[in-house]
Amino acid sequence: MESKVISKQDIAPWLKGLAEKYDVIAPVTEDGVTRFKPVDDPSAIDLGPTPAKSGIREHFTPETETLFDYKLEGLSAEVTPPEGIKKDRLIFGARACDAAALRYVDAVYSNVEPVDTPYFDRREHTAIVGLFCNKPSWTCFCTEVGDFMMNPINMDVYLTDLGEKYYAEALTPKGEELLGSSQFQPATGADKQAVEAHRESVQAKLPKPVDHAKASESYDWDDPIWQKLAEVCLGCGACSFLCPTCHCFDIMECAKGKKGSRFRCWDTCQFDKFTLMGHGHNPRPSRVERTRQRVFHKFKYSPERYGMLGCVGCGRCVAVCPVNIDIRKVIQEIESEDKVSA
Amino acid sequence: MEKELRDKARELLESGQVGTVIGYEAGSAPFKCAPLYARTPEEAERLVWNPTCVNNLAVYLPQAVKQGPVAVVVKPCDAKSVVELLKENQVERDDVKTIVVPCPGVLNLDALADVDLSDVRSVEWTDDGIKVTTGSGEVSIPKEKAFLPKCLSCALGDPEIADIKLGEQPVRTPVVDSKMSVEEYEKLSPLERREFWAKHFAKCIRCYACRQACPGCYCKECFADKLGQMWVTRSTDPTTNWFFHMTRAMHLAGRCIGCGECERACPMGIPLSLLGKKLEMEVEDMFETRPGEDAEALPVLGSWKAEDPDPCPEE
Repeated sequence: MESKVISKQDIAPWLKGLAEKYDVIAPVTEDGVTRFKPVDDPSAIDLGPTPAKSGIREHFTPETETLFDYKLEGLSAEVTPPEGIKKDRLIFGARACDAAALRYVDAVYSNVEPVDTPYFDRREHTAIVGLFCNKPSWTCFCTEVGDFMMNPINMDVYLTDLGEKYYAEALTPKGEELLGSSQFQPATGADKQAVEAHRESVQAKLPKPVDHAKASESYDWDDPIWQKLAEVCLGCGACSFLCPTCHCFDIMECAKGKKGSRFRCWDTCQFDKFTLMGHGHNPRPSRVERTRQRVFHKFKYSPERYGMLGCVGCGRCVAVCPVNIDIRKVIQEIESEDKVSA
Repeated sequence: MEKELRDKARELLESGQVGTVIGYEAGSAPFKCAPLYARTPEEAERLVWNPTCVNNLAVYLPQAVKQGPVAVVVKPCDAKSVVELLKENQVERDDVKTIVVPCPGVLNLDALADVDLSDVRSVEWTDDGIKVTTGSGEVSIPKEKAFLPKCLSCALGDPEIADIKLGEQPVRTPVVDSKMSVEEYEKLSPLERREFWAKHFAKCIRCYACRQACPGCYCKECFADKLGQMWVTRSTDPTTNWFFHMTRAMHLAGRCIGCGECERACPMGIPLSLLGKKLEMEVEDMFETRPGEDAEALPVLGSWKAEDPDPCPEE
């Protein structure tokens, strides 16, 4: 597919032109915190920080989602499912890590029948325009766990900032359609070279790939590090709730009399009641088990189960942890030479 | 200062006075620190004391003292949490030793917004703020920008519970009145206040980082987690978020000592310490008492005196 370029000042008219077909979701900064929100006015878009605080996850797996409403009538119930997506959405400015994370959630949510219909409804009706990261954050390590920064997945268009303009590559037929707008011009050979050189220079500053899936085969269940982490970890959900591959939810009801709704909301294995069972047993009773679970799930169980890591190296957990638990350091320590069995 | 801290920690551990010294060690980046449970003289060598030491380590005390006596490194603000934990019998006096460090103020990470974080080598105190050393030179940042807001209004001297003092607290010249943020807030009408909190609570993702970081929130089962009687679901709609935060604020009224960890831990930038500060002032107005100052006193909302204000009219 032919590469194109678009002048930065044409981005707003382009997005406005798409407004009839798409609801545009883009990063917006409020009170110093950047989140992906629906935008009517493209001038409000802030592509600055890398990555945006909470990524694009909440637009596929919302924090709270009504599963159905119900009304009881005698011995039967009238159940009303929620309406599906009415209008396509376009996410503008997604980072490669966040788009790549969807591959993992896709795998989990389609693993067994019935598949997660509301999630896939949103996936199907959302176009993603990604943005190459010019200035990775001190917490970024996507290159260590994958090569999607250079070879993105789950995006329709990949933009690279070249100063006055963006280099735009269509990665899907939907992307080609998006780049058919009049604001896009064909890219020149010089543009392509500039992009390649630029991407190489950014990648050179980022960590080198490590085969964590292979290394995780020798993770030690009884490593003393779990005890140490458990003492320091506060047991909040900040890491999991900002993680783009995290996908766990709890199901609750809000009912009054004969009417109610059943909804799901984000849950985290870091909360003590996550694995509390009806009969009172909790297989992860302390933070030792729970902090170990987070690392094992992302780096060991995910490759075993789905053939891919459960971590995309976005670094949000590192940035947001109030006690500086740095997952990069944790896996470095448990994978160190003297720990890996012969 | 770090040498004295490490020497003292080693001494406490070697003499068997405590089994653990909870302090700070270097974090995974030069502008971050991490909590450290030092149990051996070797581990005590890792203790640091620098502007990155923002955490209130008192949050670890209720659990930590179950293993025996503990020493904890505290700033004068953190020490107030120790007073409250003693007051509420979460920690026995014999089980805790406070190591009070002289604190000019601690780092507000926002101050490094214009610095290339990947290039930072160290963060140190200067006479009027901090000095950030990077690969390309040094940047001086004055305290108004460098320190957390609570530090700019700090007038604290030696804390009440100061078992080991590692030096004199600096002479304080608060540049901001501690009540200022509340003053601005109090100019809002009740409806404006409701809109203010509604806007902020809409951002809440109910990660409970605020609660978990708070030394005052040590309940074995938080009201928000109860499933048997469900006071609040985990839906993140504005009403439910409101209920969680306002109830937590009320549970902390008269107990919150203003360490600001809730706000620091919040990933969404909700100004939670404003709630705590406002209620602290309300309690002071009504009961003429402040939290964190007298470990022998009874908890203010957990006790009754005949002189307590009675807002109900005589008739």
